[in-house]
Amino acid sequence: METLAIYAPKLVTASDYIASGHRACSGCGEVLAVRYVCKALGRNTIISNATGCMEIVSTPLPETAWEVPWIHTLFENASAVASGIESGLKALKRKHGYTKEVKVVAMGGDGGTADIGLQSLSGALERGHDFIYVCFDNEAYMNTGIQRSSETPFGASTTTAPAGKLSMGQHTQKKNMPAIAAAHNIRYVATSCSSYPFDIMNKIEKAKQIKGPSYIHILSVCPTGWRSASNLTITMGRLAVETGIFPMYEIEDGKYTLNFDYPKLRPVEDYLKLQGRFRHLTKENTAEIQEHVLTEFNRIRMLAGKKIK
Amino acid sequence: MTSKRVGIESSLAVSEAVRLANVDVIAAYPITPQTHIVESLAEMVANGYLDAEYIPVESEHSAMSACLGSCAVGARTFTATASQGLILMHEVLLVAASLRLPIVMAVANRALSGPLNIWGDHSDAMITRDAGWIQIFIENGQQAFDQTLCAFRIAEHPDVLLPTVINIDGFHVSHVIEPVYILDQKSVDEFLPPYKYPHPLDPDDPITMGCFAAPNLYTEARKALDASVRASKKVILDTWKKYGDLTGRYYNPVEKYKADGAETILVTMGSYSENAMIAIDDLQDEGKKIGLVRLRLWRPFPYEEVQEALSAAQNVIVLDRAISLGGPAPVCSEIRAALYTLDKKPQVASVVGGLGGRDISPDNFKTLIDLAMQKLKAGETQEIIMFGVRE
Amino acid sequence: MKKDTSIEIRWHGRGGQGAVTSAELIALAAIHEGKFAQAFPSFGPERRGAPVLAFNRIDAENPIRIRSGVVKPDIVVVLDPGLVTLINVTDGLKPGGCLVVNSTRSVEDLQQEFSGDWKLAVVDAASIARELLGVNIVNTTMVGAMVKAAEVVKFESLKAPLNERFGARASSNFEACMRAYNSTVISQITTTGTKKSKSFPMEKIPGWRELLVGCIVTEPGNTKKFGTGDWKSQHPVWDDKKCIKCGICSLFCPEGCIQPNEEGYYRANLFYCKGCGMCAHECWTQAIKMVEGT
Repeated sequence: METLAIYAPKLVTASDYIASGHRACSGCGEVLAVRYVCKALGRNTIISNATGCMEIVSTPLPETAWEVPWIHTLFENASAVASGIESGLKALKRKHGYTKEVKVVAMGGDGGTADIGLQSLSGALERGHDFIYVCFDNEAYMNTGIQRSSETPFGASTTTAPAGKLSMGQHTQKKNMPAIAAAHNIRYVATSCSSYPFDIMNKIEKAKQIKGPSYIHILSVCPTGWRSASNLTITMGRLAVETGIFPMYEIEDGKYTLNFDYPKLRPVEDYLKLQGRFRHLTKENTAEIQEHVLTEFNRIRMLAGKKIK
Repeated sequence: MTSKRVGIESSLAVSEAVRLANVDVIAAYPITPQTHIVESLAEMVANGYLDAEYIPVESEHSAMSACLGSCAVGARTFTATASQGLILMHEVLLVAASLRLPIVMAVANRALSGPLNIWGDHSDAMITRDAGWIQIFIENGQQAFDQTLCAFRIAEHPDVLLPTVINIDGFHVSHVIEPVYILDQKSVDEFLPPYKYPHPLDPDDPITMGCFAAPNLYTEARKALDASVRASKKVILDTWKKYGDLTGRYYNPVEKYKADGAETILVTMGSYSENAMIAIDDLQDEGKKIGLVRLRLWRPFPYEEVQEALSAAQNVIVLDRAISLGGPAPVCSEIRAALYTLDKKPQVASVVGGLGGRDISPDNFKTLIDLAMQKLKAGETQEIIMFGVRE
Repeated sequence: MKKDTSIEIRWHGRGGQGAVTSAELIALAAIHEGKFAQAFPSFGPERRGAPVLAFNRIDAENPIRIRSGVVKPDIVVVLDPGLVTLINVTDGLKPGGCLVVNSTRSVEDLQQEFSGDWKLAVVDAASIARELLGVNIVNTTMVGAMVKAAEVVKFESLKAPLNERFGARASSNFEACMRAYNSTVISQITTTGTKKSKSFPMEKIPGWRELLVGCIVTEPGNTKKFGTGDWKSQHPVWDDKKCIKCGICSLFCPEGCIQPNEEGYYRANLFYCKGCGMCAHECWTQAIKMVEGT
């Protein structure tokens, strides 16, 4: 698990920029990740939020959970809206005496990032806007009822790629969004997970220092969609990391660093068996997943200049 | 007021107006026949003639989305598009209106696929009719310049705060070089106050924009938006009056041409109005009692002005440059609705023509009017005349 | 207007408890019998744990044309015991109607919560479900209780839809359904209970002229006025003797509702706590226990 000194939680800022009273599910890992992201961003932030769980649970008119300026417009355009915000502020600074130092942040779920929002994200990364993109990846379209996305993992059963007599659910591997983001030659790309508050906050801090675009991909545990117990949300995220299913790494100026490595990865079974979405998997399926996870983890190890175990 | 008479392509006249308005952000994606507008703006930015951020976005959807962002932080924002580009951004247009972001846009009107066609008609504008934008049509380069300047003042007025579109016929106006009076900077500055958005996204006063509305509030949100679009007419009229006083060029929601006392009135919108004028001149010389009414303001729809202009006529012929497949032609449908409450209603004939760049010359207009008159006499007004179609 | 011959049912549950499935099963059973029926959820942004509603209409004679929500139900079924004291479950319940509640409390005790002219049916569905299904999901169990209390469909008619819906798990669900059918205790309440039914003042919803330009919200974090505490069925309790005041419970709370008190011990603000149990699970020293109730 995260090297977490026992009294470390007390060092975290008490300031929250997403207020209680939001309507996220009981045990939601995504809103927890948003809490950490916002703590690290601080008040001088403008957020452009894609349509999705976080938008719906936080802003039922006439209410808002947000305590930083926040705009939601559509599903696929959070990055484009952020481009406009960033360019607008730039022009205001140059022409109209605007002096505030504001970090522009776009955020969306896995669908809003890797599927419908990919084009606008790619455009904004390529144009080099000074903004952070945060993908809260809960591995399916949870807001509309657990439909598969390109970030749904191999073997998971979802409502549009259900396990059935002829299918074991999702038959494709997770789209490698961090690599896609990195392919835009941006300076900072990182992965993190909702169970690792300090890791999230450190990575957001780093991204804040970058002039230009950065991309952070946060695995966000969803007890509703994963069909896991709500009190296990933190555990689930840790297992995703400790099994190597979700490697935690950074790509800084193209250079990979693996943040969490282990002498021996835990078997994927430990992670899969706690989730209803994987309940149907056979031993063979699990073995296939295990093999793929090791291959992928070793690929990241290699990119990070480590020895393959 | 001083202004300079120059020979300039209408697209570039629009860009001149945008430069004089000193916009802060332009986000645009190229599409024929809009390209000359955005190319010239990019050139001005590249040479320092205009101090603005030019965002070369990867699609029209992102163009309008970026406009939302820049407008929401309080930057004066402009974009231009056409045709497929306009309908690709359609989803975003609705949000721009509902968030009350005063973006100004020029559309070089063009037909829609399919089949693919890059030439002019009003199909694109009609599809975005109900988006909540103020929509103005122009007929020539001078009007394109004038109305672009006016659009900023209308859109950004604190009583309006609505996105505004200037519809410029693709090629027939956009690509024509003609004489245009370009205002000097001082006059523009006096006419157009600096943009001050009342509630920008600002860390010192953190607001939330873009909440969802449940069934208990959606109706109220839509009613509020509709009321604001309707109420914008007052500011539109004030702005046009002020602009007229400044330049001597006065504009109205509905503009008549030799229409007083006419038994039959032709209704047009956009650049073919000028061709129609030539035909009307000839026909009046021949002793025909026919006049012309041009619709300049499309949204908010000027019901009173339309009634006033048409109620005395016996016959009305409406030319649409768009087709509503399987339904009434869009402009004609509105005109008929506006006349419905009158005690004495003119007969209305509906003509669809000028689609996808098909020309309607002044002579063609005479034929068009003849055809329409035959239908009116025969009482066959339910049928739409598809002008110029080959059997 | 033609006399209304349909029976209307309102199901109270929490997001994730399966109230919608209960309504579906009843509708399918009625349709199976040749009756006319509807089942539908209330569509809203409420999430797992939040109080939710599902509805039925059943008509033995006439096709049902109405598409509106149920406001004056003949039968109310409460899947979650905690909801009885949280929300006004008898809102609109017709006189002479029937209230079916999952509770470990006795019918005599429970009827003190209500005042009206209704039949009250009580079943300990949670125990039945835990014993026969291994989980505390009471949707099928409560279907049995409801059919006992008000025979809107024949008990046997439930078998086919249960089979279709649950496949391999149909027989255990049918058993739970039957156990509930046989153990539901029914009494008539014509009393005025000692506790008055709660009233829930709604905050005034703005009219169109009151909405701000662009429907913006200018009061940051005003969801704080909205209690999500009624979503929970369990709440955390701290044993301060074990607490080392590390604050990890606070850090891992998705509601951000766990704060230290003056002595530095942590407490959850139960106005927001949704009872997810993460704090208890993650506590280093196991100082936190989840306890039934809101």
